[in-house]
Amino acid sequence: MITLSINGLPLTVEKGTTLLEAAQFLGFPIPTLCHMEGLTPYGACRLCVVEIGAKPALKLVTSCTYPAEEGLKVRTATTRVVRARKMVLELLLASCPQSKTIQDLASSHQVRQQRFRQEYEDCILCGRCVRMCEEQMMAKAIGFRGRGGSRSIGTPFDIASETCRRCGGCIYVCPVCELRCTYNEPEKAICGGCANLSPPCIDQGQFDDMMCYMDPCVACEIKEKTNVKELIPCNSPE
Amino acid sequence: MSGEGFEMPKLSSLASLQELRKRMIAGRVADKPTIVVCAGTACQASESNRIIRSVKRYLLLKDLVEVVDLRVTGCHGFCEMGPFILTEPQRAFYTKLHHYQVPRIIDAVLADEYIEELLYQEPGSGKRYYDYSEIPFFKEQQRTLLSKNQQVDPIRLFNNISNGGYLALEKVLANPDPAWIIEEIKRSRLRGRGGAGFLTGQKWELARKQDGSSGKFVVCNADEGDPGAYMDRSILEGNPHSIIEGMILGGIAIGASEGFVFVRHEYPLAIKNTLIGLRLAREYGLLGTNILGSGINFDISIVKSAGAFVCGEETALIKTIEGFIGEPEQRPPYPIEKGIFGRPTCINNVETWANVPIIIQDGAEKFSKIGTPTSTGTKVFSLVGKIRNTGLVEVPMGTSIKKIVYDIGGGPQDGCSIKAVQIGGPSGGCIPYWRFDLPIDFDSLTDAGAIMGSGGMIVMDEETCMVDVAKYFMGFLKDESCGKCFTCRKGTQRMYEILDDISRGEATLDKLDLLKELALAVKDTTMCGLGQSAPNPVLSTLRYFLDEYRSHIVDKRCNAFVCKDLVGAPCQSACPVGTEVWRYVAHIAKGEYEEAYCAIRESNPFPSVCARVCDHECEQRCRLGTTGQDPLAIRALKRFVTDNVDPGVFQPKKAKVPNGKKVAVVGAGPAGLTAAHCLSLEGYAVTVFDANSEPGGMLTLGIPSFRLPRDVLRKEIAALLDENITLKMNTVLGRDISIDQLFDNGFHAVFLALGSLKSRRLNVDGEDTEGVYSSMDFLRQFNTNGRSLAKGHVGVIGGGNSAVDAARIALRQKDVEKVTILYRRTRQEMPAFAEEIDAAVAEGVTLETLLSPVQVHSNTVGVTGVESIRNELGDRDDSGRRRPVPVPGTEHTIKLDTLIVAVGEKPDTSNLFGNGASGVETAEWGALKIDTHTLATGRPGVFAGGDVVTGPNTVVDAIAAGKKVAVMIDRYLRGEVLRQPARSSRPTVFVEPAARDQLVSSNSRTKVPHVAVSDRTRSFVEVEKALSAEAARAEAANCLRCDLEFTKPDSKAALLKHSSGGQA
Repeated sequence: MITLSINGLPLTVEKGTTLLEAAQFLGFPIPTLCHMEGLTPYGACRLCVVEIGAKPALKLVTSCTYPAEEGLKVRTATTRVVRARKMVLELLLASCPQSKTIQDLASSHQVRQQRFRQEYEDCILCGRCVRMCEEQMMAKAIGFRGRGGSRSIGTPFDIASETCRRCGGCIYVCPVCELRCTYNEPEKAICGGCANLSPPCIDQGQFDDMMCYMDPCVACEIKEKTNVKELIPCNSPE
Repeated sequence: MSGEGFEMPKLSSLASLQELRKRMIAGRVADKPTIVVCAGTACQASESNRIIRSVKRYLLLKDLVEVVDLRVTGCHGFCEMGPFILTEPQRAFYTKLHHYQVPRIIDAVLADEYIEELLYQEPGSGKRYYDYSEIPFFKEQQRTLLSKNQQVDPIRLFNNISNGGYLALEKVLANPDPAWIIEEIKRSRLRGRGGAGFLTGQKWELARKQDGSSGKFVVCNADEGDPGAYMDRSILEGNPHSIIEGMILGGIAIGASEGFVFVRHEYPLAIKNTLIGLRLAREYGLLGTNILGSGINFDISIVKSAGAFVCGEETALIKTIEGFIGEPEQRPPYPIEKGIFGRPTCINNVETWANVPIIIQDGAEKFSKIGTPTSTGTKVFSLVGKIRNTGLVEVPMGTSIKKIVYDIGGGPQDGCSIKAVQIGGPSGGCIPYWRFDLPIDFDSLTDAGAIMGSGGMIVMDEETCMVDVAKYFMGFLKDESCGKCFTCRKGTQRMYEILDDISRGEATLDKLDLLKELALAVKDTTMCGLGQSAPNPVLSTLRYFLDEYRSHIVDKRCNAFVCKDLVGAPCQSACPVGTEVWRYVAHIAKGEYEEAYCAIRESNPFPSVCARVCDHECEQRCRLGTTGQDPLAIRALKRFVTDNVDPGVFQPKKAKVPNGKKVAVVGAGPAGLTAAHCLSLEGYAVTVFDANSEPGGMLTLGIPSFRLPRDVLRKEIAALLDENITLKMNTVLGRDISIDQLFDNGFHAVFLALGSLKSRRLNVDGEDTEGVYSSMDFLRQFNTNGRSLAKGHVGVIGGGNSAVDAARIALRQKDVEKVTILYRRTRQEMPAFAEEIDAAVAEGVTLETLLSPVQVHSNTVGVTGVESIRNELGDRDDSGRRRPVPVPGTEHTIKLDTLIVAVGEKPDTSNLFGNGASGVETAEWGALKIDTHTLATGRPGVFAGGDVVTGPNTVVDAIAAGKKVAVMIDRYLRGEVLRQPARSSRPTVFVEPAARDQLVSSNSRTKVPHVAVSDRTRSFVEVEKALSAEAARAEAANCLRCDLEFTKPDSKAALLKHSSGGQA
């Protein structure tokens, strides 16, 4: 067992517990997008940073990946942590302004504006879908492609994967709910689950009996309003 | 070539290696003539293979194979000089060779002679060196690692063994106790050379402690991806056995039996030489199973990285070796616990490994004495950029940047001064010139905002824009970011966007705060070393060069003339009055001289004056000149136009009715007259007051008529005066008029353009003697009163334009026998225009440099001489110039009959403004204090500009001040806000390029014709002549037309032309 302190509160946890789990156990809120129970920690979204160590060797680490250490002092909401988180949210807002999740997170962190050139992207590349597909669905149908700015998620060469079972798990775990169904062009689809599954594997209560990408697709409507050229075709059989 | 004749079985014991080494050394002939040729990548690119072939052929041809040795080595580090030959035992260094010169060199080596003209020649001084080790580039270094590159042939193991290779392995195998090795490395306090500077001994100890039941690995990280850095490559190419040996030692120490060399795919020669080295080592039993019969197993394989910068990061490197995409993993766990395939992995940089055998062989004590207590040993830097000697430099840690840049690097390239050094590659930082005393070690670099990185060192001079540098590196990092973690992917992209906006003049000041905020957040929150250090270029340039960022944003100027969108055409941006140089040059090329004149006159009311005495900053910035040729002779072209076109072709736009407001201009120099002219065009009634009897200010008082004929000047001034302008000469501010009186007399605004006319004093004993004149007095007496004050031997002290003018005037006075200019630094540092100095020397003025006056001797009649002391060049100041330091005991007297003191002028404003009581404030040395953006003084309605603000300055700057003040006074009197947002001056008018058959072409810069020296030394005829029409058109045709990037043909005009062509 390991004893550490979080925001001054002592806590004893099992070896291998992450700081995020420990903090959540104590009830300290730490925002995160890429973390999901049941999937291996990935550390991509950088929202869950916390401050560890003592002066002058203070540093920020991602709590979702950092294992608890004996005697470690963790602070989850210092000025430096909050400042960093706000900048991460501002960057998220600048790239994916249509996501309700991001809007809510930003708003709860008092981020009221973003000061960068506005972009409209669908994906924050948190990799949840990729890990879901690989670790829980044992399919490895999708993965990361490209580097840096041209990094994206999909199948190799955009050819529909033979290992994809159209389970819809990738959509289910998407934290920003932006992965779109591309039903009438299934050969380009990451999922296309709507065409194959009934009822969808997503919690019906939350989405009525339709998934968010079924007619009318809310996300697509927003996209249309924001005049994004690259509109993904959606549920228009004619 | 020695050694390969031996037939050797696999070495099976330590003794057999020792025996082999003994035999090799015994077989060596002392002082055998040897030709050493570098076959590193750079030298191969400059055809050193051809040199090698020529050597071989000549040795065979002359049957010298047994007499002369040839050694083909890896990189010596002085790549700029390749291909070269180093001879032994002479140590002559022949550079930049051609293959046909080889036989001469071999003959010279045999005869123990030198071929003078092929020896290394120092750039700048031109000095040749006979001994390789005396060359400053090598002499100031401490080459522990790199000297091996020169001694050994990388692909011959025997050669390596006879030169001390594998000696450390011998020592370790005699006592293969890991604890001993680790202790030795710990005591040496060796820190990792890959950048972060972690203690190698500590890392090894940790690695040793890990559970190795499923195996451990050691890795040599040779994924050297920094732009401008290649030291790892040169070690792998030149001495792969040092890496192999180091890794074997590391493997024994931590208990690993397998190693990887992770090397860039783009380093084919390094890969080849390492592969050969591995094969040979394996063949002879130095590597593989049961090394030298010791029972120790260790083998190394090569992994080629696929060209991503991030693969040099250790967790990404591990992923790559495992066969996955090269992306970092969040640490912990650290590779030392869980590395390749989950096993403990010890990763060190090439240079770290190369240091290991040296430490083991020579002992930790010796190693730890080099460098500083916290950073021991030597470090190899790759010194590149705007510097005389580029190459690989190895110095002890703690050496100052100044020493590396100036003593080893030879200082800046011609005519520039060094601004900063970028250390540590793309994620390093910039250290500005004023911090060049900084010792280079891990900790002080981090404090200064840079990192050691792998050791790239890029020198930048004033022609480098720091915003552009930050943008370049950020662009690189943006492309190289793997994209796994959000803040690195988006953070680098957003930083790049902001920097790009700044470089295009489209950002606002608050973006600087955002940039800094973002940079700090990225530094804090990214996953791996790439992201954490990515903001360094931004943060360090923001820290040291904030002014440059601000001038991009506020003034829309890039003072290094790099950012294209702000600079437009460099000639136009460089001109203080914004002359569209490209435009009139384009017209000249087409023979449209009147249009050319109008283009000049539109922005400059003194075209004929500037055609003669302008310091032509346009030429300094001309892109022809900055890209390696001679710049366009712009001033000569202007002279051609102004001499050949009637000024009447330009009619300035003028307000129809006077607006009833009165402006007073004090001072009828170029600034005052320009302001008066511009204001009169706006309809103001301007009165110009001046203390002298003739208008023109310094143009009349100071500039000699052989540079600026008085009839030209008078004509030009007369053309500017009109009915709105009243001249009141012989009126002195403070004596005849005061500012209060001017306002009382109904003037609405006052422009003070008093000039800078008071000579500075020498401040030595005996200065106040008959025959000693200040340069201003001397020039004024001659230029306005026609009095010749000089006689006999004339000494002029100073190095500015007024010193040179005074010397040339003195030379033309009838009682003068000889003129000598005395200057305390060297000629290169004289502030006077180079062409004026050349002309003065051609006319017979003597130049005595590195001389300072100590005392003026005189008798009852007047001055008899000046006692001077010799200076030598001492320490460098912050700008990198060596300070003149007097040498005691070198005092001597120069006999003189006249002494002219020309050590500068300052504004004479004492007693004028009563310590700021009038609202006009003065600096201590007399200059008026103004708001630099609005030229307003502290008193409302009073403006100032020209030399009275700046001190002695150029004519064109005074004209620019006059133009600007006219705008400001106009705004002031209209009640508008004075300061308005700046705009960049990009070319707007399209001038059709001359058709090919219209062009008269020439290739090199036209020489401006001068009156022969014999015809001019005793006369005041104008020295410079105008170009002929053919010469002018040919010169103008050389213009690169930078403007065309920004302008487009007027579509309507083009259409009209087209349709009219169709009708015809």
